[in-house]
Order: sequence, then C-alpha cells, then structure tokens
Amino acid sequence: MKTFSLRFHGGPLTNVGRHGHISALLLASVVVMSGCGGGGDATEPLASLNSGPVLPASIGALESESVSKPKPQAVRASKPAPAPKQILATMPSVGTTQRDAVRLAEQASFGPTEALVATIRIQGTAKWVADQLVASGSRYTSGGSDAVHQNAASGDFCNGRGSNCWRDWSSATPLVWDFYRNAVQQPDQLRQRVALALQQILVVSNLEVSGTYGLRGYQNTLLDNAFGNYREVLRKMALSPVMGDYLDNVNNDKSAPNENFARELLQLFSVGTCQLNTDGSLKGGSCLPTYDNATVRDYAYALTGWTYPAGGRTSYGCWPRGANCTYLQGDMVPVAAFHDTQARTLLGGASLPVGHTAPAALNAVLDSLMAHPSTAPFIGKQLIQHLVTSNPSPAYVRRVATAFNTGQSGAFGMGQRGDLQATVAAVLLDPEARAPAPGASAGRLREPVQLFTGMLRALNGRSDGDALGWWWGEELRQHMFRSPSVFNFYPPDYPLPGTELVAPAFGIHNANAALQRVNFVNYLLFWNGSAPDANVPNALGTRVNLSAFTADADDPARLVERLSLLALGEPLPTASRNAVIQAVSAYTQQNNGNGYRTSRVRQAAYLVFASPQYQVAR
Amino acid sequence: MKSIAPSLAAVELNRRRWLQFSGATLAGALGATGLSALMPATAQAQSGYKALVCVFLYGGNDGCNTIVPTDTTRYSQYASVRGALALPRSSLVNLSGTDFGLHPSLAALSGAWADRKLAPVFNVGPLNRPLTKADYRALANTDLRIPQNLFSHSDQQVLWEAASSTVVERTGWGGRAAATLGTVNPVISVGGNGRFGLSALQTPLVLPEPGGTFGLNGLENPTWLPDVQRKRALEALYAGSDSNQLLNSYLSQQRAAFEMSARLGNLVKVKPGDVAGSAIDLAFAPITTNGRINTPIGRQLYQVAKLVQDRVTVQGDRQIFFAQQGGFDNHSGQIAANSLEGDHARLLKALGDAMACFYNAMKAVGLSDSVTLFTQSDFGRTFKPNSSSGTDHAWGNHQLVLGGAVQGGTTYGALPELVLGGPDDVGQDSWERHGRWIPKLSVDQYAATLLGWMGASDSQLNTILPNLPNFGSNRRIGFV
Repeated sequence: MKTFSLRFHGGPLTNVGRHGHISALLLASVVVMSGCGGGGDATEPLASLNSGPVLPASIGALESESVSKPKPQAVRASKPAPAPKQILATMPSVGTTQRDAVRLAEQASFGPTEALVATIRIQGTAKWVADQLVASGSRYTSGGSDAVHQNAASGDFCNGRGSNCWRDWSSATPLVWDFYRNAVQQPDQLRQRVALALQQILVVSNLEVSGTYGLRGYQNTLLDNAFGNYREVLRKMALSPVMGDYLDNVNNDKSAPNENFARELLQLFSVGTCQLNTDGSLKGGSCLPTYDNATVRDYAYALTGWTYPAGGRTSYGCWPRGANCTYLQGDMVPVAAFHDTQARTLLGGASLPVGHTAPAALNAVLDSLMAHPSTAPFIGKQLIQHLVTSNPSPAYVRRVATAFNTGQSGAFGMGQRGDLQATVAAVLLDPEARAPAPGASAGRLREPVQLFTGMLRALNGRSDGDALGWWWGEELRQHMFRSPSVFNFYPPDYPLPGTELVAPAFGIHNANAALQRVNFVNYLLFWNGSAPDANVPNALGTRVNLSAFTADADDPARLVERLSLLALGEPLPTASRNAVIQAVSAYTQQNNGNGYRTSRVRQAAYLVFASPQYQVAR
Repeated sequence: MKSIAPSLAAVELNRRRWLQFSGATLAGALGATGLSALMPATAQAQSGYKALVCVFLYGGNDGCNTIVPTDTTRYSQYASVRGALALPRSSLVNLSGTDFGLHPSLAALSGAWADRKLAPVFNVGPLNRPLTKADYRALANTDLRIPQNLFSHSDQQVLWEAASSTVVERTGWGGRAAATLGTVNPVISVGGNGRFGLSALQTPLVLPEPGGTFGLNGLENPTWLPDVQRKRALEALYAGSDSNQLLNSYLSQQRAAFEMSARLGNLVKVKPGDVAGSAIDLAFAPITTNGRINTPIGRQLYQVAKLVQDRVTVQGDRQIFFAQQGGFDNHSGQIAANSLEGDHARLLKALGDAMACFYNAMKAVGLSDSVTLFTQSDFGRTFKPNSSSGTDHAWGNHQLVLGGAVQGGTTYGALPELVLGGPDDVGQDSWERHGRWIPKLSVDQYAATLLGWMGASDSQLNTILPNLPNFGSNRRIGFV
C-alpha cells in the first residue's frame, strides 16, 4: 500500500487490515524461525551506545546473538564491526571560523545554537564529526504498545480508551513529539540528521500504516543504524513488518506476487532506474535502464514468502491461511509455503538456484544490490542532497561514492562496503562542503522541518512537537512520518525553473508555502508560539526564549549582528542589514514601555529568520 | 485582453512580471485589498474565456475497472480475467448508446453523460510515436522509440505531466502551454507542485484550499511605526537579486507570492457559506457538511470553480488549472469484501462526486462551455490482478473528459483486446502476460486535442508537444 497524494487537511486514514484466520501449526513453526534479529523497539537498551568507550558498534551489538549463534535460516547481518580505530577518539581539535561552524551546524545538526557554534569553532569540523559518531540520546518512546494488535476481545480496541486512542496507539503523532523534542534538545544531532535523511529515502508512512509501536520501532532502527552499514539498513528495512505492510511485501504469495516492494527496492532504495557512473552522472549521458520488468518480476518472486512476526492476535483470526496476524514489532518471518523456489536471475549476473529459501533469497538480493555500481552514487548523492547541497559536483559525488564502496574516508570507517560512518564523514568533510566561498549553484533550500527546529534551537526554544505536525507540518507539506507516498515529500530531481539545477525541497515550495514560512516565523515570535497542552504527555508547547538576547537590545546594530552571525554565520547584505536595524530601532521605551527590549529581539529575529539568506542554506 | 498568440515582447513582459520585483507591488501586496474580491464577479464578462482543469490521479488509476465493456463477449473476457475484482455487470452505470458502463462509484456522472458532456477516452499513454507490439518486442529497451522507465511511478508521472517520452524532461505540458500561449498567470495549482505546471522559467502558482490563508499574518494593514518598519525591512530583504541561483530563485518566488496574495488572497479565503446564495455553494452542496467540503478533491475543484467564476480578479482569458487526487496505487486492498467496496470504490466515489459538482457549478454560473476538465494518471494497471486483491503497474489507460464543450455521449479510441498476451498486451511469454496495454493514443494527441480547443495553433502545438508531428495527421482525438 502506498498512496500518491499531497495532503489537504484530510482526516486520519485508518488502515484496512488483512483479516482472516491463522493456523496454529503454522504459527508454531514461524515462532521457531523468528529468533534472529533485533526488534528495534523503543524499550531496547542501547548499552553499546551509552557506555561504549569509543565508536558505536550498534550493528554488532544488536546482532551479536544471531551472528554468534546462527540459525539455520538466518538472513545474514553485516559482519560485526572490527575493533574501532582509536584515531577518532584522539583526533585533535583544529579550530575553524564562525561561518564554517554555522555551515556545519546547518549540514549536520538541526540548527546552530550559540553553544554549538562555539564548540565547533574550538574543535573544528573533523573532531566534532568524530565526536558525533559516538553521541547518543535520541529515542522514540512515546505512544502505546503492541497491545493495539493483540486485541482478542470482540469490541473495538479503542472502546473505553478515551478520545486520544487513535492518536496514541495508531497514529504517528507520538513520534512527531519525540522527533521534535530530540531534534531541539538531544546532543546526538548528526545521528538524527542522518536518520532523517534515511527515513526520507526508505520511506514508510502513517498515511497507510497504523500502529504507533511499529512506526516507532522502524524509526528507532534507523537511528540505531545511522552510522552502521547500508546493507544492514536495507536488510532491516526489507524485514520490517512496517515496510512489509506499507509496500505489500508481507504475505506476498508466489502464486501471483505483487511487484510493489520489489520495484521500489530497486528504484528508490538501492540502484535507481537509470544507470549511473560513480560520479552520479548518467551512464552514456542519457537514461540507460538499470533493469527491465523481467528483473522486477524476478525480484518480486525472490522476495515472496514473508509474514508478520508472531505476536499479533485478533478476535476474528487472520488471513491468509498460513500467515501471522498483523504485528509490527521485530522482523518478518519466512513462510515456506508462500515462497517461490524457482531459479531467478538477479542484477549483476547473480542468480538464485532452484529450491532456494526466502532467507537465502533475501541474502542474494541484498548482495546483488550492494554489489551494483549504481548503489553508491545513487545513495551517496542523496545523502549529500539531504545534508549539504542540492547540486553536488560529479567529483564530490565520486568521492562520497568511493567512501561508500571502500568503507573508508580518511580516518573514518571500518573498511566494509556500505559503511555509513565513512560515507557521512565524506559528505561533511569534503572540500566542497567546507569551501569558504560556496559557488553559484551551492546550497539547499531549508526543509520546513529545519525551519522549525532551526529557529527553536537558535532562540533557545523548546518544543513537544505538537504544533508542528497537523498544523505547521500540514501547512508546509512536511508532516513528519506522514509522507504522501514512498516517493517522500519531494523528489530528489525537482527542477528549479530559470536554472539548470535541481532543488529537492523546492518540490514543496511555492507561493503558498513562501507566505506560510514567514507566517511560521511570525507565529514563533509575535504570536509567542504555543502554550503547553494538557492533552500532550509532558507537554512543553512550542516556544522560543529570547531572554539571552535582550542584553543587546539597546544596541540594535549589535543585536542584529549577533543574530545574523548565529543564523547565517555572517552579516546580512548591507542594504538588508541597515533596513533591519532601522526596523529594530522602531521599538522604543516610549512607544512600547518596558517590553521594548524583547520586542526589539522579536523584530530582529523575525527579519533574520525570514530572510532569504536564512531560508537557503549555503 | 492579451492575444493567445503573443509577440515575443509579450512573453518577455510576462516573464519579467514574475521574475522581477517591484517594491510598489509588494507594498500593495502586503496591504489590505478590501472586500471587493469577496463579491462575485459582475464586472465585464470576458469574452472567449477558456480554462482547462487537469485532475491527476496519483498512483495509477485502474482504468480497467473505471470503464467496463457490457457486451456479452467482452464482459465475459473481463470477468474471467479479473476474477474477484470484476464488477458485476448489473452494477455498472449505464452509458446509453455504447457497450460500456462506468464503475458504480461514478454514478454522479450519469447526468453529464445524459447531457452528452462526458467522454471516456480509451488506452491513452506516453508514446514517442505509434508503436505496435511487434515494434515493442523487437526494439531494445534503450531505444528512444519506447518511452523510458515504463511502469515506474515517478517516471511515468513525469511522462504524463510533461507529454514526453524521456524522463529527463524538466517542464510540464501545462507549463509549456501557458508560456507558449502567453497566459497572464502560470498554471494555477490547487494540488501541489506537480511537474505539469512547470515551464522553463516559471513554477505553477500553488494556492491553498478554500478558507486557507494566502497572505502574511500581522502585516495586512500596518499603521504603527514598528509594523510599518518591519514591512519595509521585509521589502528590503527581498529586493534585488543574488549571485547564488537557489537564493535568487527563492527571492523571485517570494516576490511573486507577495504579488499574487494581494490579488487572490481574499478570493482564496472564500469557503462554503461565506457568500449568500452562491451558485457554486449550491452545486457543491451534495458533498458539503457543516460548511466544509468532504473530500480533498472536492475542496480543490470548489477552489477552481471560484477562480473560474471570478476570472476578472484572477485575470486572463486563458487559464490552466491543476488538481489532484492520491491513493490509486492499489497493489492490495483495491477491493474489500466484494468488488463494490474497497479503496478503489472509495476513491472513485470521491472523484465522481467532485467532478459532478464541479460540472454542475460551471453550468450554474453559465461557464460550462468555457471549461474542460480531464483526467491523467501515472499509468493504467495490470488487467490481470495479483494475489493481494490488487493490481500492478501497467501503461495505457482510460481517461475521462468533462465539460460543456465536450463532444460527449460517446467514447473515443479503442478498448484494448481483452486477451492476456494478445496484441495489446506488452507481454508475450507466459510470465509476462498481465495485460499491460500498449497505448493506441498518445499523451501528445490527448493534450493537443485539449490545447487545440483552447486555441493553440498547429505551430504552437508543435512547440508545446515536440513529439506530436510523429503522429502524422492524427493530431487530435476529436472529443472536444
């Protein structure tokens, strides 16, 4: 299931589940087979992240059981991480400029704060990135449990659970709360940014999938694996019952399999439709198809034979016969009766022999995708677009793709193909990302999410996210976890008229959004944001705190300079700067009483954050 | 009134209007425009007004279940392949005078059929030139005579929205038509930024739904010094240009937004019940509950209806609109307990009801002959269902065209031969016989028919639709 729509304030869609019956015998057999793989639920401790002395080894830690005690049908996880290099822990601090520090904060965090910029200035970019690779703290924890899919009583699950039942047990709203709380406050900023990039490449959406606990588990898996290996990301995603539900691969049957997941796995999650050179350019200068429909069919057949993890219950049984009930926690489990076992041809000359099992087929599928020459530039370029710039040079893409392929970038990475530490470090520390004078095509339009978090962080704000989903998220077409389709909120190749460039976030930018961006700035500053709502657990509201800046309010030029250096890393252009200073000076004790200092900060912040220089991060 | 065949100078003026900033315009944009725009347009009716309304069905609508043959032979072919997905013959909405019926969820369109203002068009899709099954099977899949990346959502959306056979096309056929015809406004979209409305230099003008804010809060009519100064500073921030291309584009889009909000902000805000006795409200009453229209596609078409009615405020005698409905990618759950229920039935109900309300609204305001609505979609879906109660991605698809100028009451094009592996199916070998129809009519011919009605000359059509000459003298389909 995936929908194609832009949302227009539609109400929540409830998921029409698959109803039917389950065979007790089959249930028993799939339980036995479900032993491997981490569940990725919110409650899992992340000991390795919290207490590990140097680098995170999240893959190794999470998968150590299945690696050391392989099950007969285990789908192979990436190899456990080798001993991490000490070099990153001892990487020296090499200071950098205000402008560079603010740029890195835009690229690698949810926005600069005065404290963060000071830290990066002292540490320098490489040291800060190295430190971020071991930072942790963010987790999706809010919302109801798997009980929503274990309702064996005859009545509706929400009977007697109050008016927030759908919100708390089925919707992604609790994830929106956690997402914004973490983005504004938690120290593991780069992990969250990479997870945000990954969730916009490997999209699932609450528009089609219901079950807060399941959506939470999917997003926690991306946080866990943000600095892991891309093969492992693909494996967890392919086995995720949330993805299985979203793209119809759960219970996909060999008799006449649907092509949904297989097609998007190829098209969106790995190799793309057109063959790429390592530098991301089209092979031969035009679109040479990476695969044809026969290949899509072969992958669809290879990926048949998976059902939900054991654990779900209904009062009416489950369908189809032989499948588990809807349950969105843990990895999907194989069902031999659903799996096609014929010989199949995969990309790059790989093949499946007659009689293969579903786990063996998945291993071969993942290997074929990781080995394909398009995967590194296809994924690497999108990571650059999500973090640094919409139009990277071919040389920049080649450097990042090479880091992906070799698993190494300078001191970063463990030398395995698909290493995301190496890839992310290559993205952020590339000369093009760090160039003191970005070129005419450099930069990217700030996503709406980054407008929200950027202002809140810079202005010492707090948010529980509640105002940033159904309200501002809908207004600006980026309501987190509710992408209109598997094609994300915007496409990576959206053309920018009047140029030869692409500009992904311009895919949701338009005349209406342009005005609403300024209105959001107005909301935070002149409407004083939102007060805490008693209906939201541990409510914070959505508010900035301007008190740190009022000290400079009696010197408007100094105030504007301070905010510009924080938000932009440099002063506004002279004409803009002068107009802003004049507007700030318009508030006086005489016309505004004792509140004039705060009003001046509001005025200055409104204009700096509404400026085009802030909206387009370069 | 601008000619529809403007001089180059007029095109250039139009371009600059969008790309250049005028401080005076911005000052107006940020100020109040009064209540006049709330009033129905009574000023001079513009002669020769024509509008096209594209309704894009994202995800790939299942044309095979949108319109179904009713004659014994073909219905039994249909029923035997479609199995559980087959609609009962008795449930179909009768299209009198033809051997076809509509999905029962489209019952609201039966009035337009009776008026002979509704036309189904069979088996349209992206083509580079006429293509036989033999050609398709013989040519390499890199051959440019075969449209690129068939069966992929994003790529086939681009081909339909761009009327192209190559996926690297950056502009949409709506955007190119607006540029070539020199319309006052770019494509006006009430359904997001789809590529349909992009031209080389312009983005579509995207408006919010009825009742939405299309303006700047807090700066409507400033008189207090700090507010006046804030507005002035905002003007300064968006004055001029920048050497960075993304920043420069952001600047110009923001200025266009300021300008358009001054003109259209009050009109956009109008929602059902705001204007007493509104004919449009009355036409949309069947899908309005407590002052709110029930469906996203209904709200979009209501917005379009207002913009057509108040065309004096909107300006221009030619206007292309874009609306959209999502959710058609029914790989599973296309039907529920039976073929009359499920996702597809629900989607078509929303679509049919909204189209019927829009058609009735245009009749009520006397502009039915001036407005033609048409559907597009990513692709059709496999004639043969999968084992998940759904269908997969295919190619040629059936579309609906609606409006007072439409030569309706009959069908256009040919229904594919309903045989798996037959002459219209791309599939030959047993594994690939799913009924993915090779289109017999191209998007180019479909678009040329609509744009020709709007007044595009043959040479303009060739500019807008560069592959059109590949279809020889069969340039238009004749439904309008």
